[in-house]
Amino acid sequence: MPWVSILILVPLVASVVLMLLPATERRLARAVALVASFLTLAVSIVVLSLFDDQATVLSQVDHLDWIPAAGVSWDVGVDGISIWLVMLTTVIFTLGIIAACQHLPRERASVFLGLIMMAQAGLLGLFTAGDLILFYVFWEFMLIPFALLIWNWGGGERRSAGMIFVVYTMVGSLLMLVSIVATGVLAADQSGSLTFLMRDLMAQGAQLGETTSTILLAGFLIAFAIKIPLWPFHGWLPRVYSQAPIVVTILLAAVMSKAGVYGLLRIGVPLFPEGIGNLIIPVAILALVGIIYGSLLAWRAPTMRLLVGYSSLAHLGFIVLGIIVIDRMAAQGAVLQMINHGIVVAAAFVIVMILARGTGTEDMDRLGGLAKGAPKLAVAFLFVTMAALALPGSNAFVGEFFILGGVFDQYAWMAVIAMLGVIYAAVYMLRMYQSTMNGPVRGVQDEGRAAEMRGRDAIILVPLILMMLWIAIWPASIVNTSRSSTDWALVPAQVAEDRPTADMPAREVRP
Amino acid sequence: MNAGAALTMYVMGATMVLAFVLAVVPLPASLRRLPEFTGIAGIVATLAITVAQWGERQVAFYGELRIDRFGLLMTWIIMLSALATIALAWGEPAAAGRRPEFTGLVLAAATGMMLTVMSGDLITLFIGIELLSVSLYILCAIEVTRERSLESGLKYLITGSIGTALLIYGFALLYGVAGTTSLAGIADRLATVDGLASQPLLVAAIALIVVALGFKASAVPFHMWTPDVYQGAPTPVTAFMGTGTKAAAMGAFLLVFTGATQQASGDWRVLIGAMAVITMVVGNVGALMQQNVKRMLAWSSIAQAGYLLIGVAVGTEVGAAALIYYLFAYVAMTLAAFGIVVLREREVEDGDRLAAFIGYGRARPWAGVVMTLALLSLAGFPPLAGFVGKFLLFGSAVDAGMSWLAIVAAVASAISVVYYLRVVIVMWSPAPEDQRPERRLQVPRSVAGVATVGAVAVIGLAIWAQPLIELCTDAARALMIP
Repeated sequence: MPWVSILILVPLVASVVLMLLPATERRLARAVALVASFLTLAVSIVVLSLFDDQATVLSQVDHLDWIPAAGVSWDVGVDGISIWLVMLTTVIFTLGIIAACQHLPRERASVFLGLIMMAQAGLLGLFTAGDLILFYVFWEFMLIPFALLIWNWGGGERRSAGMIFVVYTMVGSLLMLVSIVATGVLAADQSGSLTFLMRDLMAQGAQLGETTSTILLAGFLIAFAIKIPLWPFHGWLPRVYSQAPIVVTILLAAVMSKAGVYGLLRIGVPLFPEGIGNLIIPVAILALVGIIYGSLLAWRAPTMRLLVGYSSLAHLGFIVLGIIVIDRMAAQGAVLQMINHGIVVAAAFVIVMILARGTGTEDMDRLGGLAKGAPKLAVAFLFVTMAALALPGSNAFVGEFFILGGVFDQYAWMAVIAMLGVIYAAVYMLRMYQSTMNGPVRGVQDEGRAAEMRGRDAIILVPLILMMLWIAIWPASIVNTSRSSTDWALVPAQVAEDRPTADMPAREVRP
Repeated sequence: MNAGAALTMYVMGATMVLAFVLAVVPLPASLRRLPEFTGIAGIVATLAITVAQWGERQVAFYGELRIDRFGLLMTWIIMLSALATIALAWGEPAAAGRRPEFTGLVLAAATGMMLTVMSGDLITLFIGIELLSVSLYILCAIEVTRERSLESGLKYLITGSIGTALLIYGFALLYGVAGTTSLAGIADRLATVDGLASQPLLVAAIALIVVALGFKASAVPFHMWTPDVYQGAPTPVTAFMGTGTKAAAMGAFLLVFTGATQQASGDWRVLIGAMAVITMVVGNVGALMQQNVKRMLAWSSIAQAGYLLIGVAVGTEVGAAALIYYLFAYVAMTLAAFGIVVLREREVEDGDRLAAFIGYGRARPWAGVVMTLALLSLAGFPPLAGFVGKFLLFGSAVDAGMSWLAIVAAVASAISVVYYLRVVIVMWSPAPEDQRPERRLQVPRSVAGVATVGAVAVIGLAIWAQPLIELCTDAARALMIP
């Protein structure tokens, strides 16, 4: 069975069905969305169960020629990096659909759910694409549903937020398209056959030359940097995160933000080994600035949503740093941290959502002492806070430790600066916890019992916390499956940089 | 000589004459649609003949006409847009002020376009362009009781005449260089005689022709007429100008440059490339602030001419094939967009204003989806036809070592997203409270049909792009044979 294709098609078909439903059929829309998202989750579990731990390149590939004349094909599969991002996508989207179903927007609920499913299809396609053009197609494809979600159901400034989101992304992605086309055409000049399949491009190992390789990589990097976002390309983030409906913010921060770092690791580093050397230091500096800058902004952020949003900027800076320094340990940490961050940031936003619903505000300074009336929420919140600031023993600690260790091996000074981010994380996360949960009761009646976590909130929050525990206790489950693919992605760059490589034949291709 | 090869010309010419005659003969009310039906029959017959003629090149009238895969495929684009124009104008309420010769003029313009893309000689090329231009001057002004329509026709006439004068001047100089007006002869002379390329006379000829065809294709800086003329002309005519004329002008560009003066490509590649760059930038920036959808589409058509010119500027077979594919995509998405504008115009007064589209998608979801697809495709979102076209054009630019064209096109496309999506947002936002009285019409089936077919084609041409790309490559190959 072409499970990976089915994985993309299930949410896609569901989204079409949902959008065709009459506006009055709210119950039916809810049922369709829930069934479809659980079905997608089930398919992704099937894909995971069939996954071969040692796979370096895409496995379970479904290949279908689309435009052979232009070397474009439908080519999807999973490798050790994408399999976990696929799982993250299906899990977070299932929880997101549940959260959306609990508080359906008053207007056109079926379209709202349909667009979420469409975004899921786009992200799953992105994480499984084996063809550069297909990757680009999904990269753009997911933009439309997210933009429409912001435009139609967002906050007061949704218009400008949505437009800024689209235009920022498009500037980067169209330059990426030029880079993609150029990569294919230039490689075809050497090999004689036009293809955009990543594995073929890697196998050909076209000698692009250092300058060309750097320029092409820069084209990709602009797109990735905007999507991640990397400082100073983060201009869209505060507006979009604060104006989008909270469910959409969860999905954006937890899943969509991984598109850029995934692209960097799966495409940027392996395809342009000659160019990466020139860009290690500049990109690492941007990531470091992002870590510090994001942390400081998070520290002084007025609302909880912005705080978590800016903390994302810092955390993603860590992931970028882990990838760009070209180190096995750091890259494995980055993969692990992609998953960790997805889970933790989703949990943090869910808590913001619960608090905002119970108290009617996202403004931290107007809240306080909620732990008295909402002890269960306080426990969950404290747990998430500990994970977010990477307390030893938490899941994020493992990831950050890997990243910092690897970075220290390559560029010690970078690790020293990045370490500041770990300290700041404690400052801003504890500030959020303290100002809302501790101290005198403020801003609420009845000691904040309205904000207490209920059963329906627990359905969303508890699975996230369980996943954090699982990764904290057994990080090897992710690291061991993704190691081969991560190593394999780094080998060409390590060779180009004269660094020791993992023990595997360089440029090995397994059909 | 093989007169049968020119069968399409005979059919179109006869249909055109018949349509004109029927327009002046007093017909009973039951037969008042006869000119339109005649036109449709003629176009369908022409399309059928082109299918039958698909194959190696045949010449007619001693090489004046070349019936090859290039001309035939371009004829398809032209005839489909002519057909769509007749359908868009079908039973228009505003036609009270419209003359019955409408169909005849559309057919005349279509014949001129076909003559242009099938020409094997500068003279036929010129006649074709003149025939299409003169017909369109009249078509723009055909609503004689509406001031804007008259203004539009007059403006088009004046600027178009300048273009024509420059074109014939350029052709004369080219004749002076090559000693022949035959496209094949020019290519032959350039290939065999040393030192002909880069001659001042040839460069002057090329510059004049680029400017003149730039007028017809509404490329910057010869685009000034476009927004006013597009806005003033009756919308079906605007749609025809946006699609058919654009295709014919691009066909002329390909025939003269990529085809005939290939050997002198060093003289014109950068020139046309520079024109493409400023056209893309100015067109997209100009579209940003428009409050009228028709005017916005006019600016967008300028920008699109810029993308299309990439296919000419690279001067290769790959570029020509990409251009022809993009023309198909462009015609599909433009017709879908104009179809919805026509629809809205029939429902409310001043239906082409952006404000008239507020909440239209919610009121008529079908129209909203069609317009959204058309605009997303124009903006180049995958997986729609506009994206595949841009991808092919970018590829041809990189392939020809002109990556800068692709980079400018990418940045310009990013700008274009703003104004295309603005219409999408407006369409799907809630309707204003003070809903003005509307003429709630039965959606005219012909207009709905054009828009829907356009939208379906926008998806279909992307998903089944391969067969069309093969046809386009065949056409481009035929173009390269001198």
